[in-house]
Amino acid sequence: MIAAQILAVTIFIVMFVLIVLDKIERHYVTLGCGFLTIAGVFGIIMRDTHAILETLNLHSIFTLGFWYASGSEGESTAGINWATIIFIAGMMIMVEGMAKAGFFRWLCMLLAKLVNYKPVPLFVAFMVMSAGLAMFIDSITVILFLVAVTIELAKLLKFNPIPMILSEIFCANLGGSATMCGDPPNIIIGTSLGYSFGDFITNTGVMAGISLILVVFYFLLVFHKDLKTKDGERVDISKMPTPREAILDKREFAISSVIFACAVILLVTHEYTGLTVAFIGTSIAIVTLLTSWKYAVELLKKVDYKTLLFFIGLFMVVGGLEQTNILEMIAGFIGKVSGDNLYIMVAIILWISAVASALVDNIPFAATMVPVIKSLSAAQGVDLSVLTWALSMGTDIGGSATPIGASANVVGTSVAAKNGYVIGWGKYCKAAVPATLIVITVSMLFIFARYC
Amino acid sequence: MSEQLIITLSREFGSAGHEIAEKIAKDLGVKFYDRSMLDEIAGQMDVNIEVLEKYDEKPRNRILSRRVGKYSNSMEEILAETQFDFIREKAESGESFVIVGRCSETVLQDVKGMISIFVNGDRECKVKRVMEKYDLSREDAFKKMERHDFKRKRYHNRHSEHKWGDSRFYDICINSSPLGVSGTVKVLENYIQERRTACQK
Repeated sequence: MIAAQILAVTIFIVMFVLIVLDKIERHYVTLGCGFLTIAGVFGIIMRDTHAILETLNLHSIFTLGFWYASGSEGESTAGINWATIIFIAGMMIMVEGMAKAGFFRWLCMLLAKLVNYKPVPLFVAFMVMSAGLAMFIDSITVILFLVAVTIELAKLLKFNPIPMILSEIFCANLGGSATMCGDPPNIIIGTSLGYSFGDFITNTGVMAGISLILVVFYFLLVFHKDLKTKDGERVDISKMPTPREAILDKREFAISSVIFACAVILLVTHEYTGLTVAFIGTSIAIVTLLTSWKYAVELLKKVDYKTLLFFIGLFMVVGGLEQTNILEMIAGFIGKVSGDNLYIMVAIILWISAVASALVDNIPFAATMVPVIKSLSAAQGVDLSVLTWALSMGTDIGGSATPIGASANVVGTSVAAKNGYVIGWGKYCKAAVPATLIVITVSMLFIFARYC
Repeated sequence: MSEQLIITLSREFGSAGHEIAEKIAKDLGVKFYDRSMLDEIAGQMDVNIEVLEKYDEKPRNRILSRRVGKYSNSMEEILAETQFDFIREKAESGESFVIVGRCSETVLQDVKGMISIFVNGDRECKVKRVMEKYDLSREDAFKKMERHDFKRKRYHNRHSEHKWGDSRFYDICINSSPLGVSGTVKVLENYIQERRTACQK
């Protein structure tokens, strides 16, 4: 077993280093390391067919529970989490359909018009919209459209867009933490441990809601001077682009809006209907493709297969750590350090998740930590949900602290830089680190007060 | 000049590659692109040139930047990609030019008739040149040369499948030390002329 453990850990470390170095595309890295885990750890050293089947986890797709769950039973944490992958793929197709119809640009322009194109109300409105949209849609898409519109409006209204971009990125990550489907770590945590949309919204959602109010005030305090238009120039708002102009195809727009509304309803009610996220993802993808049959091939081509393959490989590598009991050992270590004290346990998970997610991709971290908290809960007799909310807030919010911590940060700063608004580490962290500390502290105090 | 002529020139630091490229452009009466392209790019992006200069032809910081799909938040990579688009646009517009560095031989590899050159030099000659040009001690000149070549190599190899300075991927590689700047220019211009004649046949 020791040889298998050493190889599994080595593969995991090599995978992480290669992801950071970014010399080879990350989906090749995780898939390559995943196959090495299957062949080397399970095949050659352990000679364990059961471990291979458990990690590939293909059988789960053919069970009723994968599509319809009567209770809140979750997927097995072992191996590839197909529910996460299918759900993300489905959402990608739906979001592509919405983008093609001009939905996001329309929403941004509508909101800008509603606040009369005034920078300060626009600043607050876009932060709230960023958080609201990211509750249901992946934060990359939210930021991609929001940053583009922010830059467009900033040029027309003659103000500096960087404060708005920074606050939108932060709020997208914050909004993502509020729901089960908002952020990839939450999808992994929710599907692996069997938590519903309702569980998330009544726990991480409350923490995110309180934090959002504080963060809006914080960003207003920090950036209010930067939001003034250059030389107090008056801008003719009649020349602003109208929301109507943003709609590229009225029929597609109406259809994609209805599909999005249905997806939200299905997600909010899935705990009562019993429909799993895999079912919801598959259905919205099918409906989007059927209703946009003319562009079905185009929509399918736009699916980010590389990210899906990245997830598959990642789950295989983490499966290697799980089957060789490495994650149980880590859980045991955390249990020992915390000395059975729930406060310390929560603080360790929350802050370590936050710091790690600020420095490395939070998705592999969350995938690794899910089996750890499950073992920790079983071994220490601690309520799993308490550790779950700590992990969720830590990984989701910790990623906000640096420009590389979460995908939305990378995309937002990249789009800004391409348009001539360079946001370096200094500028980014100066605004985001205090905000991250505020949210993590609020989350910790909330968890202490409510569950400990 | 009736037919489009594009010459890409990569160089080792201190090999006088930049000066050679500039002379060739002047002799052939075509535009010369080097760091100066940043002026145009800065104008397009509405940003101060100083902001861009510090990222020009530099490799990304592996630890402090990340890529998500086609989006990278490394300013070095963003600037490199912007420059590549700029170079492609110039080539597509039918303009003739000589361009120094910026992976241009890779970016323009599909352009018919493009001539790629790599200029290297003897270490002693390069060090001497760097000492004179930047008024440095021998040791400092050597360090500067090593540092710049290391960065150029990393920058090039990040954006190209071919290795920087690998003779198999350039039309002509030349050591500028034995012939000096004017001699090297003469050889290269002869080569360019021969290539153009061969193309016309």
